[in-house]
Amino acid sequence: MEKYLVRDLMVPLSEYATVHVGATLFDAVLALEKAQEEFDHTRYKHRGILIMDKNNRVIGKLSHLDTLRALEPKPDEVHGIKELGQFGFSAKFVRNLRKQQRRQGEPLKDLCKKAVMLRVEDFMHTTAEDEFIDHAATLDMAIHQLVQDKLLSLMVTRDDNTIGILRLADVFAAVYHAMKECTL
Amino acid sequence: MKALKELFDRIVQRVNINLRELAFDVQPFVKDLVQFNQLVKFYAFYGITPHHLLDFQFRHSNLAGSYFLGKCRTTNSILYKSDIRGDELKKKGDIFQYQDFQIPVSKDEGIRIEDSFLIKTLVHNYSHDPETLEKFFINNTLSTHYANIHGSPTDGSFLGPFATVDLTTMNDCVIGTFSYVQAGEISHLNIDPGTVWVRSPNNFNFLYRYPQDKLSHYIHFAAGAPPQGLLIDFVEDRKEAFQRVFETMTIDPSVAVPHNASLDRFAVIKPKTHISDNVLVAQRAFLQNAWMGKGANAQENCYIINSRLEGFNVTAHGAKIIEADLGLNVFVGFNSFLRGRPECRLSIGKESIIMPHTIIDIKEPLKIPAGHLVWGLVTCPADLETNSIALQALTKTNEAFALGSMFFEGHGARFVTAFRDRIQHILEANGAFYDGMKNKGHAQKNQNISFNTIQPYPEGEFKGVYPTIIIRP
Repeated sequence: MEKYLVRDLMVPLSEYATVHVGATLFDAVLALEKAQEEFDHTRYKHRGILIMDKNNRVIGKLSHLDTLRALEPKPDEVHGIKELGQFGFSAKFVRNLRKQQRRQGEPLKDLCKKAVMLRVEDFMHTTAEDEFIDHAATLDMAIHQLVQDKLLSLMVTRDDNTIGILRLADVFAAVYHAMKECTL
Repeated sequence: MKALKELFDRIVQRVNINLRELAFDVQPFVKDLVQFNQLVKFYAFYGITPHHLLDFQFRHSNLAGSYFLGKCRTTNSILYKSDIRGDELKKKGDIFQYQDFQIPVSKDEGIRIEDSFLIKTLVHNYSHDPETLEKFFINNTLSTHYANIHGSPTDGSFLGPFATVDLTTMNDCVIGTFSYVQAGEISHLNIDPGTVWVRSPNNFNFLYRYPQDKLSHYIHFAAGAPPQGLLIDFVEDRKEAFQRVFETMTIDPSVAVPHNASLDRFAVIKPKTHISDNVLVAQRAFLQNAWMGKGANAQENCYIINSRLEGFNVTAHGAKIIEADLGLNVFVGFNSFLRGRPECRLSIGKESIIMPHTIIDIKEPLKIPAGHLVWGLVTCPADLETNSIALQALTKTNEAFALGSMFFEGHGARFVTAFRDRIQHILEANGAFYDGMKNKGHAQKNQNISFNTIQPYPEGEFKGVYPTIIIRP
């Protein structure tokens, strides 16, 4: 385990799905599809799209969940349902209201049309300071950071430049193989 | 005025310490909200009657323009033109029923205000908290114009203008402008302006939130400026009438008052007002061309103008009724603003309940049918579709539902019963059912009150601070 470094397991940026700020959700989905096709088919598939600024620096990530969230009614369309829990309303009531609202809302087909007009930066998760790790860090350190901050990936840096992404799936695979070696 | 300024700073700091988790700083809201020279201008006064306790202790406090009745202690506090009305406090020997507990009250309940700044705030009723039956406390709290602290022990909290906490023990909370909370017990909550929340766990839960853009027309409060909006303008426009009442030593009622009714000498009564039997008009109420039917009441800070109340009407603290006709037993909740127009009056059918903090402001005639519950903002007949429900229909529901911006969950029947019981209690307490022998209430007991005035140091380091005063029989 100790012999692994972050750079050994990371996916280089060139092999990951990326789009620039200003791209639409549809652009992001196309980028993901293209990256999947070109990626090593024996490895876990990509589960997100990285958002780059004009200087090609990673500023955020768009996950599957972020993409689906973009299709949901906007917060200002939900008539304050979100805060009902703090006023002591039951989870069942809140869930039913959401379902009712969803039924009354726009059909998914129309939302999809709207989604291609939406910009990725409005829905992405902005990358925080604790989501970066140096390419020469050990896998132990990476695992600690992932677990501690409950992250699905880390941005890998070298000399302040983001050069790749370390995915939880790849880390898990490495650990899994190490465990198997121990057993043998 | 050094001591007074230090007192103000101390209170602000203490409130802020309590609200640090909410990251709420009261300083920008209250700085210059009341000028220090205002605090030395007005005398404080207290009432003496044979029917009420007489037990006051004022220590290191400013009490400018405030009124006290019953049993109250203030320490390190500023009370500006507030009413501390202790005429419903629990008495030694009373049995307090809470769930399956019957709890004896070991001594007379008293209101204790410490390290707090109350501006034009009404404190009334008895505390419903079984943990503190004998002490109704208000600590480390700052409340602003026309707030109501009603039977609600309060610690470390801030109340915006026209906010009401009713029968709710509150710790470290911010209650937004024009919000009404009756929820038993709350802590560490920041309630947005215009929230009307009535909750009884395992029984019912009612929530309505005003659209902020529409509420701001009526009341708006931001840091660095006094409260603004139609509600403030409405009150300010009638301020002068009160000045005359407070400046005059003795004042004869300008209308006939039956022997079993009570018209407070600090109320403003304009021409063409009619007072029927068992009516209670509290101080700081304003009546103009108001027909008050038998057993009707107008509580503190109420305004009833060009309106007719048929009888047994409760007009709770701070409610305003203009150009309206109310049937028998109509209840109008705290701080509601009901405004018809001369050419398009508002009519409310008998036994309807207007929820606390309701705004009905119409420009075409509006008739609310009998036996309805009304809430929120109503500006035209169409709004009733989403802001009212027949009480009979509500009693039959056990399902959660949403109607417009209102959410309800629980037992409708229990909600209606709770309101009706409360209305009945208020009418009883106010003496609406007095028959000449029994059922005496405030309308009969508050008829002859002697008022004594007390004043602060006129100058020097303690200018504005009242000396320690202990008043007992």
